[in-house]
Amino acid sequence: MESSTISERQGAEVTGCPVLHHDFSKTREMGAYWQLANELRESCPHFYNEYSGGGYWVFTRHDAVNDIYKTPEIFSSASITPWEPDPIYRFVPTQVDAPDHIKYRRILNPWFSPKAMEAAAPMIRETCRGFIEPIVPKGECDFFEEFALRFPTAAFLTVIGVPVSYTDLFVGWVDAFFGGFGGDPEGAQGMATALGEMRVFWKEQLDNRRAEGHREGDLFSYLLDARFDDEPLDDEVLLDMCTVLTLAGLDTTRAELAYMFHHLALHPEHRQRLIDEPDIIPLAVEETLRYYTIIFGDGRKVTRDVEFHGVQLKKGDMVYGLVSGANRDPRHWEQADEFVIDRKRNNHFGFASGPHRCLGMHLARREMAIAVDEWLKVIPNFELATDAQLFERGGGAMMSLSTLPLRWEVNA
Amino acid sequence: MKLQISTECQGHGRCYTLAPQLLSSDDEGYVTISGGDPIEVPEELRELAEDVVGSCPENAISLIED
Repeated sequence: MESSTISERQGAEVTGCPVLHHDFSKTREMGAYWQLANELRESCPHFYNEYSGGGYWVFTRHDAVNDIYKTPEIFSSASITPWEPDPIYRFVPTQVDAPDHIKYRRILNPWFSPKAMEAAAPMIRETCRGFIEPIVPKGECDFFEEFALRFPTAAFLTVIGVPVSYTDLFVGWVDAFFGGFGGDPEGAQGMATALGEMRVFWKEQLDNRRAEGHREGDLFSYLLDARFDDEPLDDEVLLDMCTVLTLAGLDTTRAELAYMFHHLALHPEHRQRLIDEPDIIPLAVEETLRYYTIIFGDGRKVTRDVEFHGVQLKKGDMVYGLVSGANRDPRHWEQADEFVIDRKRNNHFGFASGPHRCLGMHLARREMAIAVDEWLKVIPNFELATDAQLFERGGGAMMSLSTLPLRWEVNA
Repeated sequence: MKLQISTECQGHGRCYTLAPQLLSSDDEGYVTISGGDPIEVPEELRELAEDVVGSCPENAISLIED
């Protein structure tokens, strides 16, 4: 793609680009990462972030983040974590570039399409009710522990054909993996162990289907039948696919759910609006994904020397598109810093953009919409059950609360 | 007035969720008219069509005035 801000000129002047030293893996007070993104965006369109092992370019505004996503031939997905240009894992198809990427996506797209999710919706709703019903009479819960952590995991396992009894096992793996994903060295060992254990599990599932025959509604059977250039997928690729599906599908939805319910706990007028007009729940979900995006930023690896938005990038450099900056950039959005519950022109990057847009987005949205709908039917009024400061995990691994105490009145 | 969607469509699904009376999805989640001929939009749906244009993270949707 040619644009006025991307050119192949060599030796261009690089001006006004500060060097900063931010650690995006730290736990901070809830909301601190969006505030940081706002400050970075308004103080500079780009900067170089140095850390002990190296450094990478950060682009803070909507126009540049958009151009990174729209130019995958320059910004490769070989690594999506700029602090780790050569990660120990490989996500397929997340870290695969053209021309192979789309071939993998076309295998997976139908399984996670809106039509497939429509068909799965009654089962997802049933799963959701199963988690809410025992909570209602208690009058309080830790929304994160008791609902957000478990419902998306159970829904995902059902959608791919794994018994829900494995929920706790998966919750543990996903936690351990993301302990290291954001660049915190203390989490590295746990991340490697979780990766290894998950791969053993997937391998057992695949071997089981090979030995005992294929099943209906089972993703493993489907993947064993899939063809890439007329050839079956080899085991390494199958395992790389299963790994990313698990990690991307479980950790993210629970984080978004918790931010959404935190918002609803503080905004009775928005709860009432969604009860009165359930048709706008999908719009409220999209606004949650914009305003409370859990994607602090998205990394890419530069494939060739290029001048980009005034910065001379070199082949092999890592860049970080500050999605959380873009999603609230007043240069792009009207009422950028307000939660507009029925926002329609909502072209946010909460699911990324370009060829690597989130595969599981249709599942995630549906889980969130069903969760809000079902919860408000039985718990229309609720509030935070603590005055204590809430904290969020570092944005490098995607922001997430770790607890959300809620309470409500129980009708006798 | 017509609505046209380019091959830049990545299947985000925001357009056909906003305007099911105008648009629908294929089996992979892409809008069915991606890369195809523009479709006619009645004048009373102008605002909806403009919302649809603004909902696309790929800037793949354009409104063509008669």
